[in-house]
Amino acid sequence: MPALTLHGEFVDLRPLVPDDAALTLRWRMDERAANLNRGAETVAQQAAWIAGRPASEYNFVICLKDGRGVGMVSVSNINPVNLHCEPGRFLIGEADAVRGIPVAVEAMKLVYELVFEQLGLQRVFGTIVSNNTLMMKWQKFLGMKEEGRMRRHYFINGQFQDAVMFGMLVEEFRAEALPRMNALIAAARPRGSATI
Amino acid sequence: MSSDKKTAVLETIYQALRTLNEERGPDDQIAIGPDTCLFGEGSALDSLSLVSVIVDLETAVSDQFGKPISLTDDKAMSRDPVPFTDVTALKTYILELLA
Repeated sequence: MPALTLHGEFVDLRPLVPDDAALTLRWRMDERAANLNRGAETVAQQAAWIAGRPASEYNFVICLKDGRGVGMVSVSNINPVNLHCEPGRFLIGEADAVRGIPVAVEAMKLVYELVFEQLGLQRVFGTIVSNNTLMMKWQKFLGMKEEGRMRRHYFINGQFQDAVMFGMLVEEFRAEALPRMNALIAAARPRGSATI
Repeated sequence: MSSDKKTAVLETIYQALRTLNEERGPDDQIAIGPDTCLFGEGSALDSLSLVSVIVDLETAVSDQFGKPISLTDDKAMSRDPVPFTDVTALKTYILELLA
């Protein structure tokens, strides 16, 4: 996929590069990332993992407008025949830097606009570890539909967890997700500022 | 507007924030009170946390008062200030929706 930077009102998504290894490894080792699959354990391993991302994926660092990286998100399993893909590896690594700012919601809006409006895909899908209630509430609120459950699909932190399967169609994104995303973004604007 | 309903709505908001605190680490707890800033400048919440509060509140208000509400529709967002500036603003808005 071409190196692509997506620009929003509060955040930009820029390509993930090997130089981001130390930063992103720190995020992945944090307690907040406990529900992600285990990955690299050293900066060198993380850099190698980033360098090894296939050209068929988009991997982004979520940046504030001052350029500071605060999280990551990716788009993988892009299927040009069946017109679906899997957004994932979604992680906010700098919790203190994103308070009061719609970082997560605008990052996902930019990703969905990329896959639905630019790439012309019809469907996004993904799985969430069943004990990650915060993420499940988040995905449902933003339009994802629960489509199934794979029992004992993940072994994380010493115990098996179910994987809850979610999906969203392009028309659901436009009708449900996008208005709610725009509402949350609007809620963070300074009072009296113009609507963008 | 009855005092009972005001108290009940405020308690529902507090419960949603307590539930959010249960999902957060011990060093990441939100101080809960009428002036708690929910979103925007000075807020302790990120957008994932705000969504958690909204989802719990919409469900709890619908269950408790028998009237479905939406806290993120055009009506809510056209207000100035929007209902998420702090707990008191949110309580006022929910009471308007229930009136």
